[in-house]
Amino acid sequence: MSWLLHRVDDRLIHGQVVIAWGHRYHPRRIWVADDASAASPWERDLLSSAAPGIEVRVLTVAEAAAEYGAEAEAPGGAFLLVRDLRIALALVESGAPVPSFNLGGLHYAPGKEKVNDYIYLDADDRRAARALLGRGVTLEVQDVPASRSQALTALDAECAAS
Amino acid sequence: MQRVPALLVMHADLAAALLRAGEKVYGRIEEVDLLSNEGLSREALEHEIARRVAGWTAGGLVLTDFWGGSCHICGVAAARGRGEIVIMTGLNLPTLLDYLHNRDQYGVADLADRLRTKGQASIRIQRGQAA
Repeated sequence: MSWLLHRVDDRLIHGQVVIAWGHRYHPRRIWVADDASAASPWERDLLSSAAPGIEVRVLTVAEAAAEYGAEAEAPGGAFLLVRDLRIALALVESGAPVPSFNLGGLHYAPGKEKVNDYIYLDADDRRAARALLGRGVTLEVQDVPASRSQALTALDAECAAS
Repeated sequence: MQRVPALLVMHADLAAALLRAGEKVYGRIEEVDLLSNEGLSREALEHEIARRVAGWTAGGLVLTDFWGGSCHICGVAAARGRGEIVIMTGLNLPTLLDYLHNRDQYGVADLADRLRTKGQASIRIQRGQAA
């Protein structure tokens, strides 16, 4: 099996990922592509403890891009998590052929504008989103499997503008 | 014995609802802090928990809903380097009531152990009686 979900979520591993998406797809592994987390043994241990029964791999973006293709040969499926759109773009630019990202949680921070209840974007986020779309990567907004999936471009006209 | 402080960190309105339910059984509840994770990034939630527990010089309990959720993860991250703070998951009404009745009787670690035992013991099943 191969990739089951590629998700952009500033909470990384949390309830929606493990409980909601986890029960839908039953991943055997969760990859977290995040340079800051990969650099911290403490953070790696924390993330690894957050998903009992699932192998958690915390990798740098470069490592995740380099090993991305090997997941297709691995038994069972996997989730891949990044914390924001800039890291998602960096992963793709580093060579990971991600076809689609699920946008599950980009919460409010100063300077960010509301797209819906759980997606807030600033100019840098939108630049990254447009770059991903320009590379043919689909961006779908959906927090949990039971909610409706919507294209980011349908919710945010600035992301649709080329 | 110094009172063990508690912060309830839970999804949506669960902490407030649990406290309100607790008041129906216990009476007026004072000195229990509440926080929802709603709308907060991991960074913001972690920061807010850290701010709320900053004054707990003798430690305290961060009571959360489920293991691996953002409330739990951010509680652990906010309490990093502070061994006097205990993070507990799986808070339910019986556990909250037991905390309220015993928060002046135990130290942090002993109270946490007691609450875990009480919380686990509170989940029981009973079959309907045959007609």
